[in-house]
Order: sequence, then structure tokens, then C-alpha cells
Amino acid sequence: MSTSASTPETAAPRDEDRAAAPVGGAPPWLGRVKWGVLAAIVVLALAWPYLVSSFYVGMGTQALFYGLFALSINLLAGYGGMVTLGQAGLMGTAGYALAILTTTSGLPLGPAMLAALAICAVVSAFFGLLAVRARGTYFVMITLAEGMIIWGIAVRWQALTGGDNGITSVPRPAFALEYWQYYYFVLAVVAVCTLLIGRLVRSPFGLTLRGIREAEDRLPSLGYNVGLHKLVAFTVSGVFAGVAGLLLAMYNNFFGPSQVFFLASAEGLLMSILGGVGTMTGAFVGASVVVYVKQFVSSYVDRWMTLLGVVFVLVVVLAPDGLVGAWIRVVWSNVVRRVTGSGRRARGPAMRNEGGREAT
Amino acid sequence: MPGGIRAASSCAPVGREKRRVSLHEFGLQLLNGVTFGAVLFIVSSGFTLIFGLMRIVNLAQGALYLIGGYIGLSVIRGTGSFILGVIVGATAIAAIGFVIERGLLRLVRGKPMSEILLTVGLSFIAADLALAQWGGDPVTVPAPEAISGSTSILGIIYPVFRLVVLGLAVVLAALLWWLQERTRVGAIVRAGVDDREMVAALGINVKAVFTLVFTVGALLAGLAGVVGGAFLSLYPGADSEILTYSLVVVVIGGLGSLQGAIVGSLLVGLIYDFGQSLVPSLAYFVLFAPMALILIFRPRGLFGKETA
Repeated sequence: MSTSASTPETAAPRDEDRAAAPVGGAPPWLGRVKWGVLAAIVVLALAWPYLVSSFYVGMGTQALFYGLFALSINLLAGYGGMVTLGQAGLMGTAGYALAILTTTSGLPLGPAMLAALAICAVVSAFFGLLAVRARGTYFVMITLAEGMIIWGIAVRWQALTGGDNGITSVPRPAFALEYWQYYYFVLAVVAVCTLLIGRLVRSPFGLTLRGIREAEDRLPSLGYNVGLHKLVAFTVSGVFAGVAGLLLAMYNNFFGPSQVFFLASAEGLLMSILGGVGTMTGAFVGASVVVYVKQFVSSYVDRWMTLLGVVFVLVVVLAPDGLVGAWIRVVWSNVVRRVTGSGRRARGPAMRNEGGREAT
Repeated sequence: MPGGIRAASSCAPVGREKRRVSLHEFGLQLLNGVTFGAVLFIVSSGFTLIFGLMRIVNLAQGALYLIGGYIGLSVIRGTGSFILGVIVGATAIAAIGFVIERGLLRLVRGKPMSEILLTVGLSFIAADLALAQWGGDPVTVPAPEAISGSTSILGIIYPVFRLVVLGLAVVLAALLWWLQERTRVGAIVRAGVDDREMVAALGINVKAVFTLVFTVGALLAGLAGVVGGAFLSLYPGADSEILTYSLVVVVIGGLGSLQGAIVGSLLVGLIYDFGQSLVPSLAYFVLFAPMALILIFRPRGLFGKETA
């Protein structure tokens, strides 16, 4: 579990950044436990189609690409401190582009995917240019409006997007037509993207991003181009959301306006904070829970959206550091403490609250 | 799925000519834009009021608008009285706002992101419960009999109701201005916007003022829902659309500024309606062009303060 990227709140001492990982006098086997858990997850993910029915394989597939979507939000919100509510618009840009290029334009799937990602990158960069000028609450509002632009085009520009009906018969790759084949395809793509994002947040770029989150005003005096870093982060995050969009379009063989709606962005953010912002695993935990509620609970309870809303409110009020964060805070840190005998309490990552409040 | 704000009872141009934009049509669009702007003003004045003092971006404002409209609709259907519908719709939403502020927002006070996310969660719940209660088909609040006719302004036949809504917005703007600039409560609110700690230190119960402001902001959303629902229909998704327009209004006008809300609402209403008639498929897109320009040249909005 890559939970070592915990994010202390403002005043917390810096060395707690590593508190989630066993430090100091922790015996070496404790570190191996984490690798063991990670290995178990990998094995489980690989064996999944052999263990459960097609219904759950489909759910697993969705959890994977929505997890990637949530991770892209996490990259911005958790590591860069930029909470976005327009990410579904970027996911949808790629999804729609793929749908249009493969059906209306009749392009082969491979080139269409690349072209769709390129379009998504351009739109992300443009949206980023507008959004990164703002901070905190303003940033949230601008991204929300940007997402709604894409939605507006999706609904209104019927000649291009099919309006409310969306675009059907988006193809899948020839080698991944069956549900289980498609699962492995998604697993492979998401795994590669997750590794890339993991590399990114640990790179000097990722550290600078965290620096921006912690003290945006100080970084320029250290010689960092804050705006450029934020723009690159926004664009990269948008492209990863775009990859998730491609997988979503091919999974449903369809793309429609509800997938780029404000609620879709909010759902992605819910996945991200439900799992725990600033953690890599959190995105997938959050996505799994939301997909489970949507797919499974919805067959028993009509008001699953209310349930999601209640979960949303409860997480914000009770566990702002999300499930993974709460796990680290309540369970894991106690294990570490008991084993190491040290009295320190690890802190899970928590939503960084910045915005207008500081100025007043 | 919703298909954009539907102007349910906007009257079609009489004797439509083939010329692209006749003067008559121009006047009609102008009126449509201004009256749409009036509804936007009522929603976004509440939005900007809440932000101005509390620094909370209330993303549930659209949901409160929609629920307010639906409650008003039910009351009007039950009693046949439009006025009663407006009063009940607005007060019910004010009560909901009161509960939200007291029961939930207080728990996360001082954490702007948590506050935003909380209102997002609430808008999930509200949208879903509204769907359960009032269904997914677009409905229109029936305009009151007395003012349901049309009148002629400079040769343009126009629904009286929309003009009354415009009048209401003007009265509200004047009232809000008076409240902010000429009353003790308004002075406290303005002082709170500038320096909350100092206001608290002077022995003023800022918490109570917060509750009051949030309740009034919610009330305005509910009010806008009922009157807006009478010429824009209500449907699942109308909440997010109105919210988006309000966001554009306050980004253009400047968060927390009453003048900003007035100018922004007018601009957005006009741009939306002219965009709608000239480039229907890109009506949304043209709305965001001015927002982008404002953000590039004046990130705080036209009337926003430098230090928010």
C-alpha cells in the first residue's frame, strides 16, 4: 500500500510525512507486511475473473477505471491542493472524442484512442490555463463551470454528440471483446497509469506539487514557477482522466451526457475523498465503494443517490481523511505503535483546507 | 436528461420574419435576457451574500432553488394560490437552510474545502429526493391568473408575469442594498466580511449572524425557484444548471458583491438568450467566453475585492 504519502495538516511537523510507514524502531517485517498486502491485492486482481461471476467482474472493471478517474482527481486535489469539480468534463472529452472518431469518422480504434487523448490534453491545458490562475474556492467554481461547458456541448451540439441520446456502438479492441478479456485489458491499462502516477508524485515534480499545496506563496521565492507546475499537473491529471474516459466509453460501448454531468465530477471527487485524498490506494477503495453502491445496492434500494449523498456528508464531517486515512489513523498506527513501542501517533492524510479563510 | 434551460412560456415572436435579426426580435430577446437575468439575480444574490460573509461556496444553492420551486408548485397545485406558493416555498427553503447551517455546516466551520464538499453531498441528496418526490418530467409552475396575460411594450407582445418577476428582482436588489448599507444588521454583515475576528471581539454574536445570512441566502434560492419555475421549467438537472449560471454570474461580478451580482446576472441573462437564438448548439459555450475573459484580465471579477 502506497500510503507513505500521508499529508499532515498545516501545522503538523514535517517528519510525520513518513509516519504512515513504519519508521524508527519498527522491525523490518512490518514493512514487508505492506508489501505482502500489496502482493495479495495484485494476486486477487489477477484472479478476480476466475473467482466471481460476470456481474462482479463487470463491477471490478468499473472500479478499476473509476479508480483511475478518482486517482486523477487525487493527483490534483490530494497532491496539488487543487480540488476540482470538473474532471468528468475532461474524462468525457476523451470519451466523446473516441466515440465520435470511431463511429462518425470511422477511424480505427488505435489511432482514434491516441487522437482522443491528444484532444483531451489540449482541452485540459486550455481549461488549466484558466483555472490555475485561481485558488481554493475560486478554483473549485471555475473547474465546475468548465465541466459544465463540456456538458452543455454534449447536450446541445446534437449534430456532433447526439444530444441526450449520446453515441452508441463504440467498439472495443478486437482482443478484448469478452467481458473477462476486457477486464484484463482495463487492469493492464490502469496498472500502467497507476505506476506512472506513483512515479510522478514521488518525483521532484510531485514534491514541488506538494510544496505548492502546503505553501503556495513561498515557492516562487525559492525559484519555482508555481503557475507552470499547476498547469502541467492539471493537464497530466486531465489526460489520465481521459484514459479513464476511453475505458468507460469502450466498456459501455456508449457515451452520453450524464457521464460528463456535474454529478459525475462530484462522484469522482467523492470516490477520491472517501478513499482518502493524498493516498494512491484511497482512490481505488473509494471507487470500489461507490461502484458497489451504484451497482449492487441500487438493485435493492431505489434511493442509492441519497445514500451516496449521506456517505459524502458523513465522510466530510467524520472522516475528512477518508477510509484509508482513518484506517491509518485508527488501526495501522496503533499496530505500528504497539510493535515499535513508541508513543507517537501517525496521522492520516487529511483534506487540506485552503482558500479565502486564510486571508481573513 | 435535461436539455438546457427551457423557456416554457417565453412567447414566440409574432409574425416571425425571414430576416435574420429584426428589430422586433432583438427587443424580444432583450426582454427575455433581462427577465432571465432577474431570476439569476435572485439566486446568485443569495449565493454571493452567503459567500461574502461566511466564505462558503454554497454548491447546494441550485438544489435549494429546485426544491423551493417544487414545494411552491405543490402548494400552488393544492391551494391554487400563487402567493401562498411563493411564501411557503421560500420559507420552507429558509428553514432547510437554517437546519443545514446549524446542524451541519457548524461542524466543519473554518475548513472551506469541507464546507464546499458538504454542500455538494447535500445537493446529491436533494436532487435524488426531488426526483423521488416529483418525478423526472419537466413541470412548470402555473403563473397566477391575474398576471398571466400579455402586454405590449413598444410593439412587442410580452408576458406580464416575466415583467413582474423583473420588478420583483429590482425591489429585492433595492431591499438587499438597503439592508446592507442602511441597517445595523447590514453594518455587522459588512464588518464581518472585512474582519470577522474583530467583529466577534466587539461582542457581536457572529455565529447568529452567520445563521441569519445563510438562512436569508437559502430563502432567496427558494423564492427564485418558485418564480423562476413559472417560466423556466423544473426538472432533474435544473439545479445544476442554475448553479452553473450563478457561478458564472459571481465569477463575472465578483464573489460577495451585490453590484457584481446585478451586473453579472444581466450580462449572463443577455448573453445566454442571444447565444440561444443565434448559435443554439453553442449557447453554453458563448456563456463561458466572457467568464474566461474576466478571469484572464480581472480574476477577482468586475466588482470583487482584491483581498477576499
